[in-house]
Amino acid sequence: MQRLKYLILFLFIIITCGCTNQIKVISKDYFYFDTYINIKIYSNNSKLVTEALDKTENIFKEYHQLTDRYNAYEGINNLYYINNELNIKEKIKIDKRLYQLLETMVDFYDDSQGLVNIAIGNVIDVWKDYKDNNKGVPTYIELKNSGSTNINKLILDKDYYLYKLDNISLDLGAIVKGYVVELIGNYYEEIGLNKYLINAGGNVKVGDHYGDNRYIIGIENPVDVSNIFEIVKGNNVSIVSSGSYERFFEYKGKKYHHIIDPYTLFPPDYMKSVSVIHRDSGYADLLSTMLFLIPVDEGINYVNHLEEVEAIWYGIDDQIFYSKGFSQYE
Amino acid sequence: MNKNDVRLVIFIFIMAISLILVTKIFDSNDPKTALIYYENELIKKIDLSIDKSNEYVIKGFNGDVIVKSKKNMIKVSDEISPLNICSKQGWISSSYEVIVCLPNKILIKIESNQNEFDAVVR
Amino acid sequence: MELRKTVRLSMLLALSIVLSLIESYIPIVGSIIPGVKLGLANAVIILVIYFYSFKDALFLSITRVLLLGIIRTGLFNIIFFFSLNGALFSIVTMYIAKRFTKLSIVGVSIIGSLSHSVGQIVIVIIFLNNLNIIFYLPYLLLFSIPTGIIVGLTAKEVLSLYQKLEIKSY
Repeated sequence: MQRLKYLILFLFIIITCGCTNQIKVISKDYFYFDTYINIKIYSNNSKLVTEALDKTENIFKEYHQLTDRYNAYEGINNLYYINNELNIKEKIKIDKRLYQLLETMVDFYDDSQGLVNIAIGNVIDVWKDYKDNNKGVPTYIELKNSGSTNINKLILDKDYYLYKLDNISLDLGAIVKGYVVELIGNYYEEIGLNKYLINAGGNVKVGDHYGDNRYIIGIENPVDVSNIFEIVKGNNVSIVSSGSYERFFEYKGKKYHHIIDPYTLFPPDYMKSVSVIHRDSGYADLLSTMLFLIPVDEGINYVNHLEEVEAIWYGIDDQIFYSKGFSQYE
Repeated sequence: MNKNDVRLVIFIFIMAISLILVTKIFDSNDPKTALIYYENELIKKIDLSIDKSNEYVIKGFNGDVIVKSKKNMIKVSDEISPLNICSKQGWISSSYEVIVCLPNKILIKIESNQNEFDAVVR
Repeated sequence: MELRKTVRLSMLLALSIVLSLIESYIPIVGSIIPGVKLGLANAVIILVIYFYSFKDALFLSITRVLLLGIIRTGLFNIIFFFSLNGALFSIVTMYIAKRFTKLSIVGVSIIGSLSHSVGQIVIVIIFLNNLNIIFYLPYLLLFSIPTGIIVGLTAKEVLSLYQKLEIKSY
C-alpha cells in the first residue's frame, strides 16, 4: 500500500509537470481609430509579450494623436494643426512618423489615379455635418464649394518639413489603421514574436500560426453582420475590408458610406463590400479603399494584374466575385 | 473509520485532484463561444470574445430562461424550476464546464473558437 | 414480528423523506457547488442495509424517490430519473462494498455518496447526449468525501442506538 501511494504521487507529478511549458496566448484590447482592436500573441515568453503589448499601446496612441483631425495635442504638430492652424506657405517640421505616413498616402494617390485622396477633408467635413445634424444629403454644388481637394497643394519638403499652397484639409479616414497595424506586426516580428493575430475590425493581420496550421478568418456578410460569407485561410497575411463597415448613414432608404469618391464627391455604389488579401496591411487597406471606388469588373481586372494580391467582392445584387488566385486562401 | 476507509479517502482524493488538473490542461485561452441547446438542438450561439455584458431570453420548458454573458463567461441568472440548480451555479468560463438546466431542458456549453474562426473581418 | 418490521420501515421511510425535504431547504450546501447535497437520507438507507436487508433498503429507496417525486419534483420527468438513478447506483454499490470489502460503515457511506453522483451524471449524459458534464465529476468526487464521512458517522451512531432500541423492545 505504501508503495502504491508513492507510485500514484509519482504519476501525479509527471502528469502535472509535463504540461507547464506549453505555448500561451496573451491577449489585449485597445480602442483607437474608433475601433476595438484585439491583439493576440502566442509565445511562452510572457514577459516579452507583455512588454510588446504595452509598447503597442504607445504606438497606437502616438499615431492616433498624430493623425487626429479634431483635437490638438500639446507639443505635437498633428493633422489638426496642419488643417486648422497652419497658414498657407508657412513651413513646419513634423514628426518623422507622420511625414512617412503622408508620403505613403501621397504616393498611392498617383497609383490609384487620384481615387485615394487624403486631401478630401473639406468634402468629408460637409458630409459629417449633414450626417451629425440629420440634415439629409448635401448637393454637389455645396460639396464642390467646400474648398480645395487638390493634393498637389500639399508639399512634402526635405528634412520632414511641410507646407500648404492652398486651404486643403487632410483626412486619413480609416486608411491609417492598416498602416499602423502593419507597423505593429513588423515590430512583433523584429523582436521575435512571430505568432500573432491583430484584429482591428476591418483590418486583420496574422503572423505564423500558433499550431501547425493556418489562421481561419471569416469575412463578415455586409448584409447580415451576424454571419460570414467567406472563410480565408492563411499565415503571414493581412485581410482588409472596405464597405461593410458600420460607418454609414441612411437617408430616404439609401445608405451613404463614409468612403467618398473624390471625383463625384459622393459615396460610390458599385458593391456592398470588398476585401483585399495581401502581405502588407497598409497597402491592402489603401487598395481596398480604391477598389471600393471602381466597378467590380474593373477591380477584378486590376487585381488580376497585381502580384500577391487577391480580393473578394460582395456585389450590389449579393453575388460574390473572386480574383483569379483567390482559391489559394480557401 | 478503519484503515481501509482512510485508504479509500486518499484514493478518491488523489483521483479527483488529478482529474481536475487534467481538465485544467484542456482549458484554453482562445476566444470562446457559448452554445445553448434546447432538447439537444442548438438554438443559440453567443460570442463570448466581446468585452460587453449582455442578457438573453431563452425559451425553456417551464418558461423563459434568462442568460447573462460577459467576456468569456456565461451564466443563467433566472429560470423557473423546483431547485434552481442552474441559476445557482453561477458563471462558467471553461470549455469543459456546462450548465445543465434539466427541468428546462436547456444545456449551455462553452466551446473555444479554435476550430472555427481566429478572427472576423468586418 | 412482520408487522413490527413494516411499521419500523414505514417510519424510516417517512424519516428519510423528511430529511430530504429539510435538506433541500438548507441553501448553504448546494450553493458551494450545485448538485452537491449532504444526503442525510442516505444515513437511513445505510441503517436499513445494515439492520435489515439489501432488499428492504432497495424497496425503501425506490419508494422514497417515488414519494419525493410526487411531493416535490413530479413523476417520470428527467429530474425523477436523475434522482432514481443516483439512488439505485448508490444502494447497489453500497451493498457490494458492505458485502465484499473490508470497509467500515463510514467507508460504505463514502462509496454511496460517490456513486450517487456518478449515477446522476450518467443520467445527464444519456438524456442530454453530452459528455462534457463528466468534467464536473472530479468536483463531485471530492465533495463525496466529507459528505460521505458525515453521513457515515451519523449512520454509525444511529445504528448503535437503533440496535439497543430494538433489543430493548423485544
